[in-house]
Amino acid sequence: MEDVYMGIDVGSISTKGVIITKENKILSSEYIWTEGNPIGAVKKLVRLLEKQFDKENYRIVATGTTGSARKLVGTVLSATVVKNEITAHAVGTTTFHPDVRTILEIGGQDSKIILVENGVAVDYAMNTLCAAGTGAFLSSQSARLGIPVEDMGEIAVKSQHPTQIAARCTVFAESDLVHKIQVGHTKEDIVAGLCQAVVGNYLNNVGKGKKIQSPVVFQGGVSKNIGVVKAFENQLGCPIIVDPDGHLMGAIGAAILARRNKERRVFNFDVEDMEFITREINCGGCPNNCEIICVYRNGEMIDSWGNRCERGDVAARKAANPNAAAV
Amino acid sequence: MAEKQKRKIAFPMVARYNEVVRYFVEEGLQQTYIMQPQMTRRTLKLGAKYAPDMVCTPFKTVLGSMIEALEAGADTLIMVFGYCRLGYYGELAETILRDLGYEFDYLNLAEYSTGKKKDYLKAIKKLNPDAKAVPMGKAGLDGLKMIEYIDEVESYYYQNCGFETSKGEYRRALNQFTADLGRAKNRSDIDDAYDRCMSRFHEIPTDKGAFPLRVGVLGEYFTVMDEFSNVDLEQSIADLGVEVHRWMNVSHRNIHYPGEKNLHPRISKYCNYEMGPTSTANIWYAKRCAEKGYDGLVHVKSAGCTPEIDIMPVLQRIGADYKIPILYLTYDSQDGDAGLQTRIEAFYDMIEMRKKVIR
Ligand code: SF4
Ligand code: SF4
Repeated sequence: MEDVYMGIDVGSISTKGVIITKENKILSSEYIWTEGNPIGAVKKLVRLLEKQFDKENYRIVATGTTGSARKLVGTVLSATVVKNEITAHAVGTTTFHPDVRTILEIGGQDSKIILVENGVAVDYAMNTLCAAGTGAFLSSQSARLGIPVEDMGEIAVKSQHPTQIAARCTVFAESDLVHKIQVGHTKEDIVAGLCQAVVGNYLNNVGKGKKIQSPVVFQGGVSKNIGVVKAFENQLGCPIIVDPDGHLMGAIGAAILARRNKERRVFNFDVEDMEFITREINCGGCPNNCEIICVYRNGEMIDSWGNRCERGDVAARKAANPNAAAV
Repeated sequence: MAEKQKRKIAFPMVARYNEVVRYFVEEGLQQTYIMQPQMTRRTLKLGAKYAPDMVCTPFKTVLGSMIEALEAGADTLIMVFGYCRLGYYGELAETILRDLGYEFDYLNLAEYSTGKKKDYLKAIKKLNPDAKAVPMGKAGLDGLKMIEYIDEVESYYYQNCGFETSKGEYRRALNQFTADLGRAKNRSDIDDAYDRCMSRFHEIPTDKGAFPLRVGVLGEYFTVMDEFSNVDLEQSIADLGVEVHRWMNVSHRNIHYPGEKNLHPRISKYCNYEMGPTSTANIWYAKRCAEKGYDGLVHVKSAGCTPEIDIMPVLQRIGADYKIPILYLTYDSQDGDAGLQTRIEAFYDMIEMRKKVIR
């Protein structure tokens, strides 16, 4: 029986999971949509991972979670490590690309940049406010053009003269786009222009003031768009590496961090049959009125957080019964 | 003076310094001090609601806590003076509060902050024309001592609380200290509070190891000192197991400030002129932390704070020259930013892993 490690990355858009060995071999991996329901998504994900998993020969001894719902999902899975997504991505990526210096990431709703030296992160930035440098920009524009997002990359690379799109901000970009369509720019040129705009916004926003050095690895959902990859290569003047497992790097990082951590807890997939619910209660102990998240497993409270002081624990205890809390 | 004629004086909440103002008002001016409740989300909401949108966050917090002081029964408000715009905002605050229908006397320290003794006296005479010079002078000196004690206690606290072996002991000692100061009536009460807290601190078992991580926190005056405004930044970093250092406090910046003239020669490579009220000191401090081999720096500002935005390129150069990671944080009126905790944790992981590689 060999000991192996599970990593789960739950973002607002997608949920990813892997099971890896000591040698970083991927035994199972899955990628599904979160659909606004992290607990439901993770239960489904675990079921899918189990299907690919050989229980006779392997045993999961540690679990790491990351992503925006890392804490909730960490509680649900009784994870041994709960890590922020920046660290998880840096660890995952440097494991497969030990000489990487810059990690670019553009996801559906956020983007980040991580600078690496000697295999460890030395600087990073993330953007959660402005949509112009994220995948959300591309999907909204593709809808406007009536082109599936998945096809944008292929269309963009056909362009000889990408359209310049004033794209400091999504709102401006949209009106400029309408204008460019009206004056007759080709579809290819416009799509290529959009890809360039995403890159420009990204570099002006999260990449601002950062010294981008090669080797550069590009990750996140948007890295599947070849048009954006080419636009990065043009603007940065260096090759861009896109790992086919790039979307899994956060989950892989979480699994590696779980392995490095001393704590061990065997995971046996029984969460699939448990019922988890969350309730939000307001403490009311003072004008802060903290929102406390309570997590219940089969009707029993297993964790709570969100209170700024100890008095909130009292409020949470009162809500130990989920039905009472619902009132 | 008859008891009922006493003024009820209040001061906006600023870090832990309100006990000092209370002491001076009660023991020196012989007036009543009104302590508004600790700041909460409500404070900021009130401030943000009535302040113009474009002002920086410290003004909103100050305004909110003045409203709460008036609600608590104050009839006289003392307005802090800041180093840049906050200094000009005193009048704005007064206008807004009067428009809201509050009645109060107002003392805007900015109008008196010339540094001349005569002006301070003028300010005091306004609060109590009968104030006696001797008790006031004494209370003033005691107050200065109190500030130094508070700053010493806080700085010891944040350098050590992350390493206690049983959670919460440092916090209890600190709370006791604040409570003791709140009851202080004379100099020996103040000294006792300090002595008790420090000896309690020294007895708390800690486990620091040989090379604890050290982080320097710097930035805009108000936000960097006030833990409500920076959402417990120093505590969150310390809790990860870090020595948190901060130079900026009233003792250093106001009482014992070495002055731009003395600081500039030490940072001549990076900047030769005064860029803002705290810029020189912050650049100097960043460089000093870097030279001492700290593991990281955290720069704090409120949204729209121009002087602190301006020094960021200088800090970036220091970061590159000394290879010290810097985390830049901006606080706006929306708190509870989950992204904040993520960034602090990621920063911690980064400096921790880096330290392992370097050693
Ligand atoms: S948890 Fe504490 S700070 Fe939050 S509302 Fe309750 S009493 Fe207030
Ligand atoms: S230093 Fe910054 S935060 Fe303070 S008043 Fe000036 S601009 Fe506002």
